[in-house]
Amino acid sequence: MLDAIQFSSFAEFVDMGGYGFNVWSVYALFAIFVAVNLILPLRKKQKIIRQLKRRMTLDAEIQSEDDSNGD
Amino acid sequence: MWVWFSKLGSPKWFYELSGKWLPWLIAAMVIFMAIGLVWGLLFLPPDYQQGFTSRILIVHVAVAGTSLAFFPLMFVAGTITLVWRMKLADMVAKNAAILGAWFSFVTLATGSLWGSVMWGTWWEWTDSRLVSMLFQLFLLLGVISLRSALEDSDTAAKACALLSIVGCINVVIIKYSVEWWNTLHQVSSPVNMDASSPNGPEFWIATLIMIVAVYLFLSVSLILSTRNEILERERKAQWVQDLVLKS
Repeated sequence: MLDAIQFSSFAEFVDMGGYGFNVWSVYALFAIFVAVNLILPLRKKQKIIRQLKRRMTLDAEIQSEDDSNGD
Repeated sequence: MWVWFSKLGSPKWFYELSGKWLPWLIAAMVIFMAIGLVWGLLFLPPDYQQGFTSRILIVHVAVAGTSLAFFPLMFVAGTITLVWRMKLADMVAKNAAILGAWFSFVTLATGSLWGSVMWGTWWEWTDSRLVSMLFQLFLLLGVISLRSALEDSDTAAKACALLSIVGCINVVIIKYSVEWWNTLHQVSSPVNMDASSPNGPEFWIATLIMIVAVYLFLSVSLILSTRNEILERERKAQWVQDLVLKS
């Protein structure tokens, strides 16, 4: 299977038969595109959960203060 | 059928079901991406005319083909929102516009990177395929800004559903542009499984793997952002609060 690799050296692999800049730019752009659209929603989820958690603890504190003031 | 349909519209039900699907979808996506990229970068033989720039095309074709799915998806989602008042469909439509704009942009950029060496130009205003794809990007940006400008979500849903019809017509134009107006962009090559031909099976199978990988990526990304939307819109619901406490 390794015989089917189209390059005999790393330099050839980088060069892509003279089209290195274009080929690698496309694959880099594709990698960024995929990574951004997976990482951003995952990070946003953590942020949402953190915010909701903070709000719930705040609500609970206000609630307990109200309860103690009521007496 | 109707029970199933109204259940599907329930954000809670979707959140739980998609949570079960996600690990499998992500695993499949990683496998197909890995095979496609390794094959594309290491094993794909050079084309007899294009040399190694044919490696650009397996990415470009997969992203470009998939980008045509967004307006039909948004049209269906918009119709469901307006007719059956399904909140979930509106959330999908909103996030699909953003992801679709990304897809259209990457299609144009990868196409330019290929054209700059093979056509000798980065851009050609007289080519119908290029211009109609640019129009799709602008339409999607229009949908996104319309949504953020209109606070009333009902009006926004209506306006976006209307724009989706224009977008669907444009998808047909993009698809057939290369046949109706024969300018710069080449027509799609016929699927050719003859191993002795220059565009033989290795190119087709690599492209097919990339298409599957890109569709899986689309599903994963869209499900992730829709789940976030659900958490935000349903934050007062008891099940979301329970979920936050558990995490």
